Amino acid sequence: MTLAQSLWHHGAKTGVIGGITVLVIALVGMVESFNKRFIVADVMTMGIALVIVVAVLIAYNAAKRAASSDYPVVFANSLLAALITSGFLAMLVIIGNRINLRSVLVNASPVLYMVLTGGFEGAAGIFVILIAGGLSGVFAGILYLMPQLARQVAIVSLGSVLIAGLLQDLIRPILSAWGPLAVVSEWLFTQNGLTITGTILILLIIAATFTIWSLKRENIKTGYGHFPDGAQRNIKICAFIALAIFLIVLPQILGLFLSEVLTIVGLYILLGLGLNIVVGYAGMLDLGYVAFFAIGAYTTAVLTSPELGFFSLTFWQALPFAVALGILSGIILGVPVLKMRGDYLAIATLGFGEIIRILVLSDFLKPWLGGAQGAGKIPNPVVAGYQIAGPQHIYYLILAGCLLVVFISLRLRDSRLGRAWMAMREDEDVAQAMGINLVATKLLAFATGAGFSALSGAIFVSKIGSVYPHSFNVMISINVICLIIVGGIGSIPGVIVGAAALVGLPELLREFAEYRLFVYGAVLVAMMLLRPEGLWPEARHKLELRKDENDVADAQTETAA
Amino acid sequence: MAILKADNMTKRFGGLVAVNALDVEIKDNSIHSIIGPNGAGKTTLFNCITGFYRPEDGEIIFNDRPIVGLSPDRIVHRGIARTYQNIRLFPNLTAMENILVGIHSHLKSGFFGIVLALPATSKEEKMAADEARRLLKFINMEGKGDFLAKNFPYGEQRRLEIARALASRPKLLLLDEPTAGMNPSETQAMMNFITHLRDEMGITIILIEHQMRVVMGMSETVTVLDYGKKIAEGTPDEIKNDPTVIEAYLGRGSAAEAH
Repeated sequence: MTLAQSLWHHGAKTGVIGGITVLVIALVGMVESFNKRFIVADVMTMGIALVIVVAVLIAYNAAKRAASSDYPVVFANSLLAALITSGFLAMLVIIGNRINLRSVLVNASPVLYMVLTGGFEGAAGIFVILIAGGLSGVFAGILYLMPQLARQVAIVSLGSVLIAGLLQDLIRPILSAWGPLAVVSEWLFTQNGLTITGTILILLIIAATFTIWSLKRENIKTGYGHFPDGAQRNIKICAFIALAIFLIVLPQILGLFLSEVLTIVGLYILLGLGLNIVVGYAGMLDLGYVAFFAIGAYTTAVLTSPELGFFSLTFWQALPFAVALGILSGIILGVPVLKMRGDYLAIATLGFGEIIRILVLSDFLKPWLGGAQGAGKIPNPVVAGYQIAGPQHIYYLILAGCLLVVFISLRLRDSRLGRAWMAMREDEDVAQAMGINLVATKLLAFATGAGFSALSGAIFVSKIGSVYPHSFNVMISINVICLIIVGGIGSIPGVIVGAAALVGLPELLREFAEYRLFVYGAVLVAMMLLRPEGLWPEARHKLELRKDENDVADAQTETAA
Repeated sequence: MAILKADNMTKRFGGLVAVNALDVEIKDNSIHSIIGPNGAGKTTLFNCITGFYRPEDGEIIFNDRPIVGLSPDRIVHRGIARTYQNIRLFPNLTAMENILVGIHSHLKSGFFGIVLALPATSKEEKMAADEARRLLKFINMEGKGDFLAKNFPYGEQRRLEIARALASRPKLLLLDEPTAGMNPSETQAMMNFITHLRDEMGITIILIEHQMRVVMGMSETVTVLDYGKKIAEGTPDEIKNDPTVIEAYLGRGSAAEAH
């Protein structure tokens, strides 16, 4: 392939994709609205960082596709791709400054052009865009040609700066909570973004730590392997205790707002673990999962709220009823859809979810459920005469719920029931030919998932103290499905990671809230293309061979992944 | 004594009669081959025996009890297991897990026993894992139990599928073209393996096969199907020389030429 051909096939084509991507990002308004938050104070905003990251990724991809050992070819490709990408933005600025695009593209504002040109007017601004594009291309080319270790160090340390900047609202309060660390926090962060010293410090520290870790990792692992069994167990116990202490003091470290975020993530983890049994283990796509959440919530409300005035049970007295009713409704939904698979099942369950929402909203059930106004005054749970109110206390209730549900999920996964679910997911007919009763197995999956969901609903209403139909729209089901897919279908840690990424992050980065669905869509497509197994895929546990004999199998699963 | 008896069994798909008033008896502890051209109704017969299809007419008696109308999972409990023409392992489960699914029908623990980790459950799981390891060893795949089923070479997938079927401790094993796609030495190994199953474990075997070397080499009885009808039955030697069989396989006229 000649240079021209290579440039056309790799650089130019990739560049056009990149150009369209950054145009979309700019024109939906992400660049402008993200521009308010600085990653590095007064130097780089989140909006600019987003564009540059896309340009570098595109250029790197062009270099990778060129796959040449020839330095000039690699550089030419990455440079061309990045220049085309930035060229699209330059064209936008040129056209936008001549013609008013705002009647069609609402976000094509002069402010956006100022952001893109770095504040320069006219030709100088266009020049700035192209220079930035060119630099991204050169950087991507260098990145591609680096030895692997150096590349990893560069990516990890730059990524850490980006993450530190993005999550400044999370990191700063944690650091300031403790006297000596507050000084560090002032070093690293301004009110908006990292300081320059902070940026360099993070870069250096992360790069050094990562390098040492990469070089010594094998030594540390084998060193650990040489410890006697007793010592290894002690280390594990210590790690476990440390984790427990960390989880217990977490809300105190995080403060009120972040604890609130944590409780929301926790509720989604509960929902995710329940749906993980239905979708991840048993392979039945359930889009009406929010129905069980609503049933758990409304059962608790009816049984406890004095406003509705039927019963005034305590939270703990109502909880078993809520979960039992959730399980029962899981079975009731399960029976008619037993014969359905795949898409048909998804549509049927979607309908069920909507039926429940419309029922609670209906005038018909208003005397019992409160209709559109919902119901309030739902009491907080009381433990040993102590009222659990506020996110920092509810956290413990949710933590306990999550631990219970994780434990049940783990036990089920490694049992005959878990295997029956997975066999059914793989091939329903063969599963039946292996002696698995499909009816009982499916209903059990629905019932277990519904029970977890109802538990989550009961905690949810006692947390916010009121219940409204609009809390139970189909978006909850979609969110839960998305977090399972992003985390890794069928993986318990995946649910936790997915909930943190898809529910926790948008709460921390308020700018994202408006683009939540856009980002979900983009993330899902990217995940399917780049990492279909999810962020934290399920590890196949080893059943035949135990410790020391696993090396071969390890290599196998790694290559399989 | 017959372990399985099909009596006047008919299975139709719309207007097509896939199996037509079939009478067949499988002797206990024998290797019984079912042969016939493509579309003769061999696999349909398997699907009827294992409960996936319900024959419109006739009876199937297994161990003196009728099994028509039972669901496939109930039939497994009665002691019939099968493999498939195109291998149907659970691809994303490990070999061990595949075999453990096969043992499913012999495990009893329920939801609460599992969640509460009752001693009975732990004991049962340990027993099942031991048995699965034993079966892996039996099919010469010791040490490969933690690999995903989809990653095994063809021959091992065939053996693993048989091991999964054996895990349900069947009295009758239905093998659908176990040597399909195998070279001569693999075929020979598979034949020895199947004979070994019958001799050592006392499992009756029904075999659908296309390779005549396999059919003639190891079966006691051969049943020939054509267009859903039984056209011949007997020992391999009798079948070899039966003109109707030759005609069914090679077409009219060939039989005359052969004589």
